[in-house]
Amino acid sequence: MKPQALRGRPDWRALTVGIGLIAIAAIIERDAGQQTITATYGMGPAAMPHVVSVMLAVLGIGHLITAFLGGLPVPDEGDPIAVGWIALGLASLLGCIAFGGGFILATTLLFALTARAFGRRALFADLAIGLALGVAIHLLFAKILTLSLPAGPIERLF
Amino acid sequence: MDALASLAHGFAVALEPTKLMFAAIGVLLGTAVGVLPGIGPALTVALLLPVTFKLDPTGSLIMFAGIYYGGMYGGSTTAILINAPGESASVATAIEGNKMAKAGRGGPALATAAIGSFVAGTIATAGLAFLAPWLVQIAVNFGPWDYFGLMVLAFVTVSATFGDSPLRGLTSLTMGLALGLIGIDKLTGQSRLTFGVPELLDGVEVTTLAVGLFAVGEALFVASRFKHDPEEVVPIRGSLWMTKEDWKRSWGPWLRGTLYGFPIGALPAGGAEIPTFLSYVTERKLSKHPEEFGQGAIEGVAGPEAANNASAAGTLVPLLTLGLPTSATAAIMLAGFQQYGLNPGPLLFAENPGLVWGLVASLFIANAMLLVLNLPLIGLWVRLLAIPQPWLYAGILVFAAMGTVAAKPSVVEIGMLFVFGFIGLLMRRWDYPIAPMVVGLILGPMAEAQLRRSLQLSLGDPMVFLENPGSATLLGIAALCLIAPFVMRNLNRFKASED
Amino acid sequence: MKLFGRVFAGLAFAGLALMAGPALAQQDIKIMAPAAPGGGWDSTARSIQQTLMQTGLAKSVQVTNVTGAGGTVGLAQFITGAKGDPNQLIVNGFVMVGAILTNKSPVTLDQVTPIARLTGEALVIVVPASSPHKTIQDLSAAVKADVAKAVWAGGSAGGTDHILAALFTKAAGAEAAKVNYVAFSGGGEALAAMLGGRVTAGISGYGEFESQIKTGKLRALAVSSPKRIEGVDVPTLKESGIDVEMVNWRAVMAPPGLTAEQRKSVTDMIEKMTKSKEWAEVLKARGWDDYFMAGDTFDAYLKSEQSRVGDILRSVGLVKS
Repeated sequence: MKPQALRGRPDWRALTVGIGLIAIAAIIERDAGQQTITATYGMGPAAMPHVVSVMLAVLGIGHLITAFLGGLPVPDEGDPIAVGWIALGLASLLGCIAFGGGFILATTLLFALTARAFGRRALFADLAIGLALGVAIHLLFAKILTLSLPAGPIERLF
Repeated sequence: MDALASLAHGFAVALEPTKLMFAAIGVLLGTAVGVLPGIGPALTVALLLPVTFKLDPTGSLIMFAGIYYGGMYGGSTTAILINAPGESASVATAIEGNKMAKAGRGGPALATAAIGSFVAGTIATAGLAFLAPWLVQIAVNFGPWDYFGLMVLAFVTVSATFGDSPLRGLTSLTMGLALGLIGIDKLTGQSRLTFGVPELLDGVEVTTLAVGLFAVGEALFVASRFKHDPEEVVPIRGSLWMTKEDWKRSWGPWLRGTLYGFPIGALPAGGAEIPTFLSYVTERKLSKHPEEFGQGAIEGVAGPEAANNASAAGTLVPLLTLGLPTSATAAIMLAGFQQYGLNPGPLLFAENPGLVWGLVASLFIANAMLLVLNLPLIGLWVRLLAIPQPWLYAGILVFAAMGTVAAKPSVVEIGMLFVFGFIGLLMRRWDYPIAPMVVGLILGPMAEAQLRRSLQLSLGDPMVFLENPGSATLLGIAALCLIAPFVMRNLNRFKASED
Repeated sequence: MKLFGRVFAGLAFAGLALMAGPALAQQDIKIMAPAAPGGGWDSTARSIQQTLMQTGLAKSVQVTNVTGAGGTVGLAQFITGAKGDPNQLIVNGFVMVGAILTNKSPVTLDQVTPIARLTGEALVIVVPASSPHKTIQDLSAAVKADVAKAVWAGGSAGGTDHILAALFTKAAGAEAAKVNYVAFSGGGEALAAMLGGRVTAGISGYGEFESQIKTGKLRALAVSSPKRIEGVDVPTLKESGIDVEMVNWRAVMAPPGLTAEQRKSVTDMIEKMTKSKEWAEVLKARGWDDYFMAGDTFDAYLKSEQSRVGDILRSVGLVKS
């Protein structure tokens, strides 16, 4: 990781973070402005948000300045495809929970897609392992310890 | 001394073979459930409480103590092995512990956590037996202003973990503070930054943020680098067991961690997080190997783990002497007592000394049992890291998601885990420190609540912080910690220019 | 994986322990506790579970916990998820009535089918032992004299304790909006503030303060229930001339869209349960008072509680109308 060498051109990372921080500060400020209830004694519920949003705004400006003075450290090369596979796995987990796919199916997909991200090609073998893992977890925690895990079609078989 | 005799009697009861078996089962069950990230000791105890219903009071309490300690140890195990702290008090452990595990030193990390917990638990239990009545007086007199002072001190010292860029460190911390604003304001019941999403009313769960940033973020980061520069995980390098050097570096942190954990845990709003952070920064300052911090320094595991366990014993001080349940776990313990029609409090010692000391003795035995059962298992735990990386990280993600799903099965919660995972990836790639964000989320809301309570009690007069000796002292120390580094630097420069 | 082998070994025991129990009845009941394990609603739900199974009124009973926002997250899920299903129940109570208003919840208790009020707990107003206020009238006078200086300690903002503090302040002749109420998270912190003498008075469920009162560290001035608590020599607010009455009740309700028959059979099951000796034992062990009320009486009671809580929360300023 070395500092941005290019002079004259602002660092897009620092710019993005700076603008993002200022945006978040604005959201917090807006929300605090909508508080209808104040405390009768001492500080109200909007005081702390004001403090945080000012801090964020200052840090945002700090990032903008940094963007023109060297920028953030440049990260090593990444592999967006691998990240994409895991993102797909997490998204299918989310989808399973949202649309009643159940915990076991979610686990199976997350497991297999993550393994794919790390270069595995044996999709069916990984699906099988994920399924076995999901079933084992479901039986142990949901059945025996009555922990409520989201149920889907596979769970209803048990 | 009465207490001693009662304690001895308690031990006699708890040491019967059947009782020992209950302790062992409790420890195993507790560890099994406690390893799930997101399910801390309190939830573990609550989930397993029905199991103890079937036993007689003594047996049940002993099993209960076992579950409690098992749950706590389970939380640190995942923090060390897979960087997924099971509860907010294990966040500090994860910082160095996981680095050690990845460098093949998972064995010593787990060992120092287990032995440190035992040492701290033993000392703190002794403290409970002899200092409780005295300590509780101080605890009760600790006002909101004093808590605020303590939290400011924690903030200031934790900023030492920011790394080399104050801008990025402060950004991380402030984002944590911003996340802490989300939810219902404790003092007025107003919702802040919830955008009409009811799931956000209870705020951002610390474990969701920690598991997202630490475990999910890590998995994403390692995957993103896998093709170019695959990470090398060595399950065991050198000794599986702690070396002489490890022992030498651990005992100091254990004792100091206990000194932080026990008294702060005894405070009604002290909690376990502040002592673990204070212990972490202290060890970082005192260590002879400061360069190892951030790379896996054993002191950074030994201290916070001891502090965590000592604070757990500390919460029993107000519970047993006053009947004050000051933590989620203590509240559940109270439920455990109440199922036998017992009400902890000032009367309990007088009415039912056998049971109280029986409990203290069982905590002690559960602690020892934990050590006996877990030390041999460390080899097994560590070998989990030998699983081929694709499966290892897939398993970690499944496990992390499962903990979150089990604790709060909602789309919003999983969505947050997802988002925090990606923020964790970006922060790793762009070199932002991660821990300050979690610290901000933990300490921010606490500090705000205590500050506002203080001002409400003083009817808005800020002088209350300086008029009370406790808060004045704590704020003074915080100011010193803040100014001292600058003064020292200038002093050095001054000296240098004189030469 | 070795890990799971170990988990399984431990859990096999738990399984054996949990599966024991009589299997007589026909129904599989699901109870939602809209709170985390360990709290009041959760223990109510689990006590119902235990009693229904012991008495054989139900074949199996499952308790699910949905946490969040004073139970309103669970309520919303229950209303959409359990609609028309007579085998599902939700535990809730007085706290939820307030939480629905303060959290501006999109769902309300009008959308579920009330079954029965089960238990209730009296709140107690206490002062530290060193306090100059010897009776509830002293405290009332102090509140009237300077409402800002009379600092109250209790649980979460907008909760039962806060509502009682506001009702009391109003009854004392001061402005309810000016009540200086400090919300503490958890009874422990509030109790410590009282024992440390930092607040004027405190409010909580009687059980929480019981041992402090018995040892004389706190002085109980009045209880909020309509009748004195059995065996406790503390006057009620009413008999002390303060016209305030409040009970922190817990109830069980069914989903929307039940037929009159279904509602009756669920009510019968719950009523049978509350008449069992197993339930009496549970109440005794937990220290709960029986406040059983069902049918139309409970419907009317629920309505009046909703409007009363709404009024007081508006007058305190916690809810803008």
